[in-house]
Amino acid sequence: MSKFKVVHYINQFFGQVGGEEMAHIPAEKRKGPVGPGLAFTKNFGDDAEIVATIVCGDSWFNENLELATETVLAMVKEESPDLFIAGPAFNAGRYGVACGTICDAVQTELGIPVLTGMYVENPGADMFRTKVLIVSTADSAAGMRRAVPAMAKLALKLVKGERIGASVEEGYIPDGVRRNFFDKKRGSTRALEMLLKKIAGEPFETEYPMPTFDRVPPMPAITDMTKATIAIVTSGGIVPKGNPDRIESSSASKYGSYNIEGVDDLTSETYETAHGGHDPVYANEDADRVIPVDVLRQYEKEGKIGKLHDWFYSTVGNGTAVASSKKYAAEIAEKLISYDVDAVVLTST
Amino acid sequence: MIIGELWRLTPGGEQETLHTSKFQIVTNNPMVAEALGERCHIVFLEHGSDRDVIETVRDLVHRHHRVLTAPLAGSVKPWETPYRSVMVSVSKGTAIDATSLELVEFALMVIGQSRERLETTKPSIDRDFQTVDLSLIESALPSVEAIGRI
Amino acid sequence: MKLEVGYIDIKGIRFGDYNAVEDGILIVNPEPLLEPVLEDPLIKSAHFEIATPGESIRITPVKDVIEPRVKVEGGGGVFPGMVSKVDTVGSGKTHVLRGMAVVTAGPIVGFQEGIIDMTGVGADYTPFSKLHNLVLVMEPVEDFKQHEYEAAARLAGLRTAAAIGELARELVPDETVVYETPTIAESFKEEWKDLPRVGYVMMLQSQGLLHDTYVYGVDAKRTLSTLISATEVMDGAIVSGNCVSACDKNTTYHHQNNPVIHDLLAVHGKKINFVGTIITNENVYLDDKIRSSDWTSKMARYLSLDAAIITQEGFGNPDTDLIMNCTKLEKQGIKTVIITDEYAGQDGKSQSLADADELANAVVTGGNANEVVVLPPLDRVIGTLDYVDTVAGGHAGSLRPDGSIEAELQIITGSTNEMGFNRMSAR
Repeated sequence: MSKFKVVHYINQFFGQVGGEEMAHIPAEKRKGPVGPGLAFTKNFGDDAEIVATIVCGDSWFNENLELATETVLAMVKEESPDLFIAGPAFNAGRYGVACGTICDAVQTELGIPVLTGMYVENPGADMFRTKVLIVSTADSAAGMRRAVPAMAKLALKLVKGERIGASVEEGYIPDGVRRNFFDKKRGSTRALEMLLKKIAGEPFETEYPMPTFDRVPPMPAITDMTKATIAIVTSGGIVPKGNPDRIESSSASKYGSYNIEGVDDLTSETYETAHGGHDPVYANEDADRVIPVDVLRQYEKEGKIGKLHDWFYSTVGNGTAVASSKKYAAEIAEKLISYDVDAVVLTST
Repeated sequence: MIIGELWRLTPGGEQETLHTSKFQIVTNNPMVAEALGERCHIVFLEHGSDRDVIETVRDLVHRHHRVLTAPLAGSVKPWETPYRSVMVSVSKGTAIDATSLELVEFALMVIGQSRERLETTKPSIDRDFQTVDLSLIESALPSVEAIGRI
Repeated sequence: MKLEVGYIDIKGIRFGDYNAVEDGILIVNPEPLLEPVLEDPLIKSAHFEIATPGESIRITPVKDVIEPRVKVEGGGGVFPGMVSKVDTVGSGKTHVLRGMAVVTAGPIVGFQEGIIDMTGVGADYTPFSKLHNLVLVMEPVEDFKQHEYEAAARLAGLRTAAAIGELARELVPDETVVYETPTIAESFKEEWKDLPRVGYVMMLQSQGLLHDTYVYGVDAKRTLSTLISATEVMDGAIVSGNCVSACDKNTTYHHQNNPVIHDLLAVHGKKINFVGTIITNENVYLDDKIRSSDWTSKMARYLSLDAAIITQEGFGNPDTDLIMNCTKLEKQGIKTVIITDEYAGQDGKSQSLADADELANAVVTGGNANEVVVLPPLDRVIGTLDYVDTVAGGHAGSLRPDGSIEAELQIITGSTNEMGFNRMSAR
């Protein structure tokens, strides 16, 4: 019996090309398994083999989505595989997004079953969980030893056309489809055990996560705008020319605080955008289009607002994890409070 | 179709209440219209769907009426029974009642994601659906009539 | 209250010339049992059939499932206020014919539902495929009022179960278990002071015809939330008049064998202090919902609860009560776990519940009732298949020419039970 043919997608790091400094390399195809592919080979046993590995830089993929997808698709098509796997990406945001994107494309365009793996908080998980099967992994490569067997097992089921069970049975991130299965204990016992954990303050997992409507109670309106201090906060990635803090074009790991005392207008010589999720031309031409410094400064001069806060706070929203965003927001909020800022103009792209 | 005019304008331009019940029922169930028509104001959507009923209730909510019974009463599902009856207040509040709005929107969501209902094959089954729906709305009568004002 | 329950294991049922239990076999002489049933003018005909686990039998449409029990000692009789007088039950001694049930079957309304398959795929989804079932098949007269006939059929089932339970009175149980529930004063004893005070909030279906529950014979629609002892429930203090939907309506059997009560009692005094059970309803009228859920949280406060398990019954409307009960308890600092089922659509992608709140962060599910299953054709049908196409969860063509049925789990009695009776779950 011939083995199922698998193509594996990995990034520049796992492809042993280099770290962050090599994230710009374009996709290249190599014969056979590479890096984690070797572990997959062991787990596939006699059932499947990796015939080719595509190694691709995370930045190159994310900053050239269309071209990258097309290129990799062509490489995959050449091999006519039975199965396509990507990653595991653990918590690497750009890697996760790349894995999700390419898996979605292979599934849709080539009709080949796909599977990837990443940490549940990876932005790629949120973006692709309903489109592509994603095995839930640890948040770092230390989890490789458990991720690969889990992925291999599920991958074989997929390629053999076997029934895929519920998320908790098979180890994938809930994909928005509820599936029944028979648990070991009856519901009342599961409820009691869950309650005991909840009482003891221990972590427990609900069997049905309530849909979150994420409501934020609005603050009371500003009564006198002429006395208010307004600050600008943005996920539009506007930064001083040269991006001195090196805020990433996606999956930002930081935010910047930039002083605009005496600045009336943002120009293409002084400011630029770091955001990699859209064509940067218009934002680079005039960053005021993303954060309205010019208009707010005018209002300040006309007395329409009390003061434009001396600092603006900026990060890139593209593929940035919700958890990270919350963290930056909390820190920025503290600064705003310490400066007695009354209101914020929050922009995104 | 409205059974029982609720009020009319007097020559002096004032609103004169005709029907004295404190509640009204929006329904597409002819059995409800017949059984309760004497007791209260009925907004009878004769050929309306269950969605029409809930949307009419929603419109009333936006005009500051309060929903008095669960829009999705009963366990006979929206994709099974075509009949819905909802009790709504006659009086209006000063603002939109948030709870009423939420209930209506949730009900519309459930109806929206329901699969298509089949044509009821026998008139007796259709009558059974009407009977159960009537019973559900009737179950609220003792509660609503026990209190004086709404 | 203290109740000693003696379980007599039933290993089979057969017809005979007399009514008795001998060596674990129930011998049924139908005539004397059918006499009281047929006295009701609304019931045109009635007969018994036997269904054994593993047999190729399909029972439909199922109305209720009831376990035969009898009060041997202590006040009152089983099903107080319905079959017996209203005297308080829950103490003394009760005998149970375990491993069997009386199943009432037959149409009440045209879309009556409920299937119990004794073998095959369908059997996996209902706990009743594992019981020896004595099925009471009834037929109404022409031209009957549904709510009157529903009551007649309900009483017929309960009376039959009580009569059969009576056969256990003199028997020696195979197993005896003593259940004890503390008074409020006892619940504060020194020995238990370090255990979390846990309560059980049991929501009862209460919306109208085919949607009712009775507590000591009182229609749950007209009740205020109140306390009941676990042992009273074991004596049939709560019975079902609920027929919709088959998958998540609590049969009388479920009430008699409430799994939450049994699991909580099993660890009472060891891992938890099971303080008490609060019953509350699920009315259609919104102010009733607010009043009942407020009352429930008030009772929980009186009991000084630290935590509670909440179970509901039904779809849609009750989800509102469930969320009300849950959030009101949580806001008082009482930690909750709720048990529900889901209607996530046949593709599993729809929103599972008709209400939601982020405070309900600990949920146990009985599964997605919309999941489609194909039940194989079975050799014998007890009841009638006439309704399968219009059965909730069925659709035109549900009943295929070869006798198999393609329908949602909603159609199977007890399949997604919201008391946590089954092992089925979903993710």
